[in-house]
Amino acid sequence: MILYSKYYLMLLKKPFITTVAVRSVFAFLFFVPITLYAQQYDLLIKNGHVIDPKNNIDRIKDIAVANGKIAKVDNDIPAAQSKKTIDATDLYVVPGLIDIHTHVFVGSKADKFADGIYSVSPDDFSFKSGVTTVVDAGTSGWRNFPLFKEQVIDKSQTRVLAFVNIAGSGMSGKPMQEDINDMNADSAALVAKKYKDIIVGIKIGHYEGSDWTPFDKALDAANKSNTPMFVECHLPQYSLQDQLQKMRPGDIITHSYEQVSERMPVVDEQGKLRPFVLAAQKKGVLFDVGHGGAGFWFSQAVPAFQQGLAPNSFGSDLHRFSMNAGMKSMLNIMSKYMAIGMSLEDVVTRATSNPAKSIKREDLGNLSEGAVADIAVLNVQNGKFGFIDAGGNRLEGNKKLEAELTIRAGKIAWDLNGLSAQQWKQ
Amino acid sequence: MTLFAVNILQAQQIDILLKGGHVIDPKNKIDEQMDVAIANGKIFQVAKDISAKNAKQLIDVSGFYVTPGIIDMHVHVFNGTDVDAYIANALTSLPPDGFTFRAGVTTVVDAGSSGWRNFRQFKKQTIDKAQTRVLAFLNIVGNGMVGRLEEQDISDMNPQQTAYMIKKLFPDIIVGIKAAHYWGDFTQVDHAVEAGKLANVPVMVDFGEHQPPNSIEALFMQHLRPGDIFTHTFSYGPTVRETVVDDSGKVKPFMFAAQKRGIIFDVGHGGGAFSWRQAVPAMQQGFQPNVISTDLHAESMNGGMKDMSNVMSKFLNMGMSLQDVILRSTWNPANVIKRTDLGNLSVGSDADIAVFNLRKGDFGFLDVRKTKLKGTQKLEAELTIRAGKIVWDLNGIGAPSWEEELQKNK
Repeated sequence: MILYSKYYLMLLKKPFITTVAVRSVFAFLFFVPITLYAQQYDLLIKNGHVIDPKNNIDRIKDIAVANGKIAKVDNDIPAAQSKKTIDATDLYVVPGLIDIHTHVFVGSKADKFADGIYSVSPDDFSFKSGVTTVVDAGTSGWRNFPLFKEQVIDKSQTRVLAFVNIAGSGMSGKPMQEDINDMNADSAALVAKKYKDIIVGIKIGHYEGSDWTPFDKALDAANKSNTPMFVECHLPQYSLQDQLQKMRPGDIITHSYEQVSERMPVVDEQGKLRPFVLAAQKKGVLFDVGHGGAGFWFSQAVPAFQQGLAPNSFGSDLHRFSMNAGMKSMLNIMSKYMAIGMSLEDVVTRATSNPAKSIKREDLGNLSEGAVADIAVLNVQNGKFGFIDAGGNRLEGNKKLEAELTIRAGKIAWDLNGLSAQQWKQ
Repeated sequence: MTLFAVNILQAQQIDILLKGGHVIDPKNKIDEQMDVAIANGKIFQVAKDISAKNAKQLIDVSGFYVTPGIIDMHVHVFNGTDVDAYIANALTSLPPDGFTFRAGVTTVVDAGSSGWRNFRQFKKQTIDKAQTRVLAFLNIVGNGMVGRLEEQDISDMNPQQTAYMIKKLFPDIIVGIKAAHYWGDFTQVDHAVEAGKLANVPVMVDFGEHQPPNSIEALFMQHLRPGDIFTHTFSYGPTVRETVVDDSGKVKPFMFAAQKRGIIFDVGHGGGAFSWRQAVPAMQQGFQPNVISTDLHAESMNGGMKDMSNVMSKFLNMGMSLQDVILRSTWNPANVIKRTDLGNLSVGSDADIAVFNLRKGDFGFLDVRKTKLKGTQKLEAELTIRAGKIVWDLNGIGAPSWEEELQKNK
């Protein structure tokens, strides 16, 4: 009865439904018990090359989805068991990608990140790049996080998580964002605990003084909320060595490969990776890309990679000024690392299970049975491609990732070439 | 005299020289390999074999198509935070820059998201802050697209105020008037046309929510003027909008007559307004849209529409020539909105340029009913230039090699 009324309502709401669809709906109503038994899955992705780093899967497998969750991962799941089947031959099937560095507290304030036009809307960029989860990097602080939640997080189809800024109003411009009196470890930790399903850590960044109080407060809030600290840029008076020394294992530094005057680059003038940086990595500090408009330079990233400092995650630092520059999308950053020499498997690890682990959300970034069905189906284009860094320089490559299909909680949120669709009939 | 002219040409510095591309510039009837030189944000020269000697930056675009910056004549970009509103100052509208340049678009025309009451806010909030050139159709409803209920308010459809806003206050930005989402008779359209006459601008009509549907033949032949625009042309929703192709798959005869009369047919793809069952038969029977556009908004961006280059690619794969596709997304919309300074590569024009790669392969294209048309070619924006500045460079064709730069700096 419930089933009946639901489909009847659907018919009423969609007056232009095709006769074929109408017939199949009625057929469905008629044979409910049999249909349910035979087609236990909503969606089946067949013959794709599954890369699921958490579960050590790197081979051709089928994935079945039911009720928005991963129902089964197996070598051969019959198409008859699914209401819908997608042929992913020659494509890679990976967990929905996680971008742990974005600025998505979009609003209408001019010249602002917090509630402003410098931030961007997550759904505009995520799904077309295979991303199903973004983490906002402290655009909101403990004071304006509720507005961010109401205005963006609750309205987005993308899963939006957040590092909350130690500055009460987040990235709201100077002088407000540098007011030490507005940086309150207890308030930040309180908000982080209150919204523990969304807030995954505490961010420090954008402080131009030499006083370590803001950094220490962020660390204090991270300790109090038992979350990682996310260290962004624009801390010109803090030396890189001191920052890395103060950071705990599991804390995250971003813009790892920047070459700007306000922070010492990780690779020195002779092209050598600084030993204390490697030591910090060994201690357990996590290095995020944080590409952005100025945070990623081949002159840093390439030697760093060759000397052992691969990024732990590919945070894009998506915002108004990076979206059309060398950054473009997280898939573009991942393709850059393939051009630098990282294997596809390593790239996927750093875009899925690694970031999930770093934000202590190991329910995400994997294709375990029972996990939410956030899935990206990627194709690897072969050809002559070029990639640009923050300095406007080019690196050439011969592979490029493209998102064919993105599934969020079992729902198709992006379908580049109509992989999930039937051919139209005249 | 000739010598003198040559000297001037050589003395002038070229900022960017696009070399070796296949130029398609419908206004100037160019459809062959040519070089394009840019200086001071303007088109400086279009010719064969322009010397690179005086060029500050040389970009090899051989193998690519070079076209005027694309004009997307139907978008919704009055982005804002009014969570109770629909399109005006709301989340359904999108900030333009994230969608335009990556698709080769340099100019968008907002299709009536704002009306005369809230246009100033739209301008301040979006238009003045965007890198994309944003023009607008002003909604005949004073509050624009706040919500469906508000859009039915005849007392808020004021031709005088609307025309005044256009003619006296913002003639450089507002290019026409929009009538949309109306449930009643022809009253809204007639008010819009009255305003259009007062301001001497075209009217764009979304005729999609009438129950039962109003006659589109009457709309084209009696209510609209030549130069007025019918959008969502290939929509299939016969209970609320009369279709242009009938149930037997035939284009209704008056469609050709209407187009001949001067009615402009716009694609306006959107999230619900483009069906293969309308578009394919129309194309097969020789009915082509005058203008290709997206109806970009939050509910179309991740669906079958995606972006302007995807919508253009759909027409390529339905059999429209590349030249016709470019015409319908550059020079045609420029003429429709009476902005003939745009959509061309004439010397002296703003250097708004798109460089496309025509990918070959197996592609698929979705319509709003989630059925697919298979295709073999797809346009991809390699490089987009807005007022002489590179605003999108997909593969770094305008960038130097990082290793060479590193050597130079050592």
